[in-house]
Amino acid sequence: MTGELHFKTVRELGELVRTRQVSPVELAELSLHRLDIVGRHLNAVVTLTDERAMREAWVAEAEIAAGNYRGPLHGIPYGAKDLLATADGIPTSWGAAPYRSRMFARDATVVRKLEEAGAVLCAKLSLVELAGGMGYRQPNAAFTGPGVNPWNREHWTGGSSSGSGSAVAAGLVPFAIGSETWGSILGPASNCGLSGLRPTYGRVSRHGAMALSWTLDKLGPLARSADDCGLVLDAIAGADANDPTASDRSYAYNAGDAGRRMRVGVFRDAAANAEDAVRAAFEGALDVLRTFADVEEIDLPDLPYRAVTQTILQAEATSAFEDFMREGKLDELTAPEVAYQPLARFAIPATDYIRALRLRGVIARQVGDLIASYDAIAAPTRGLVAPDIEGEFVAAQARDNMGAIGNGVGLPAVSVHNGFAPDDLPTGMQLMGGAYRENAVLAVARAYQARTDWHMHHPAEFA
Amino acid sequence: MAPNVPENDQPDKAIEAQRYFDLVRDLHGDGLTEAQLAIVRERVDDVVNAGEMMRTVTLDNAEEPFSVFTPYDPGAAR
Repeated sequence: MTGELHFKTVRELGELVRTRQVSPVELAELSLHRLDIVGRHLNAVVTLTDERAMREAWVAEAEIAAGNYRGPLHGIPYGAKDLLATADGIPTSWGAAPYRSRMFARDATVVRKLEEAGAVLCAKLSLVELAGGMGYRQPNAAFTGPGVNPWNREHWTGGSSSGSGSAVAAGLVPFAIGSETWGSILGPASNCGLSGLRPTYGRVSRHGAMALSWTLDKLGPLARSADDCGLVLDAIAGADANDPTASDRSYAYNAGDAGRRMRVGVFRDAAANAEDAVRAAFEGALDVLRTFADVEEIDLPDLPYRAVTQTILQAEATSAFEDFMREGKLDELTAPEVAYQPLARFAIPATDYIRALRLRGVIARQVGDLIASYDAIAAPTRGLVAPDIEGEFVAAQARDNMGAIGNGVGLPAVSVHNGFAPDDLPTGMQLMGGAYRENAVLAVARAYQARTDWHMHHPAEFA
Repeated sequence: MAPNVPENDQPDKAIEAQRYFDLVRDLHGDGLTEAQLAIVRERVDDVVNAGEMMRTVTLDNAEEPFSVFTPYDPGAAR
């Protein structure tokens, strides 16, 4: 059965494990083998956690055999972005050469929660160094090398959750945990043809995760379906005494049908700056959405979204890494431009940072009220497909208002695969919702995936 | 910014950017090449542009930073 397993969803694998048609040990061995053989060619793996994986898999196998089934993640392999702390002598590098041997005494809360759900940690996955917080301008910005896109090895995975994207897309693990400060879950999900969920800020504890920007950082899953993202969020959401920003609002994933016609908003000119193939895929996706939802164009208030989120991110990241920067360690990073480019951030006035925090409230209220009656707001996840893996980025994501809003005020969004551009490069559509409304955006995403099969396409090379 | 324009004739934003850049260069610019400093100057321009964009929105005095702060009470469980 092994040959049929590696592109199954968490939901499918969970049922096979529950009914004892597949064993957690078999799944762990399959993932470890593929991570070792394939993952390293994709620059996806920082550390293979084989000892821990086999221990957790044998525990899961024994528990299930004894009738103690914990739920749909029990015995399911996964990978964690290597900015999540892990105990057991497993290093946590933050993707940065100066930290490649760093050890932590405890697991991050997310890792602990997944262990409690019975999931099996098989690898620490690569990322752009320091989660991209120093302003890289090329894919080769990690000591593990640039993330290789499984759909086309001449293109990048996206970042900063590079390994999380490629490992799931290439069938190495059924799901992975990524982090997003601005685009780091949704971007790789789009570039790699996956479903990726950025939860509401505070929905998932950040304890044990590298801090890049305390008020922007979120943790969430990349998986093969929106449904799988919900299953994972159900396991990792919740309050945490170690993270005062973790919300005590309860979360339970609801996989049921909405039972009504949905309502989806589209900001005017949402795809105006997208390249042709991305725009065409988005328009095709809107046609599908119209089969089960009222799709309405809405006008976005004229506010400085990108300036606000950029200022918060850069000011907080500079504080988070001020000692690192002053000690001259920027020179030890891989991308040469990050040795000097971030120095400009020392020029950000305190008044600008505080103004950005004040404007965050204005944006939260105005956008929150505007989108409150919609199940989701749809837009292309990325205006551009995955860039070439060599050289500098030739074009920036010029007007990522959705990303600036969603991250700036902490709104949830899911990215779903919605087509292909030339050269087999996937395109993605993001569905963003109001705060704490993950179930609403996941319901729209599931309804979309029930009517399309993009999420069931896999890179032929790794089938 | 055109280097041959007298400072008094330059737009306020350009003056602000130049002064911030001078500060960054003086404090952190040792060993950087002219090409690297030029990139740093571009990033300083980004900082100043972002500030200018944010100041296009008028904020009421009562508009507080949208962030959470809870006084630490060592006697209370977190």
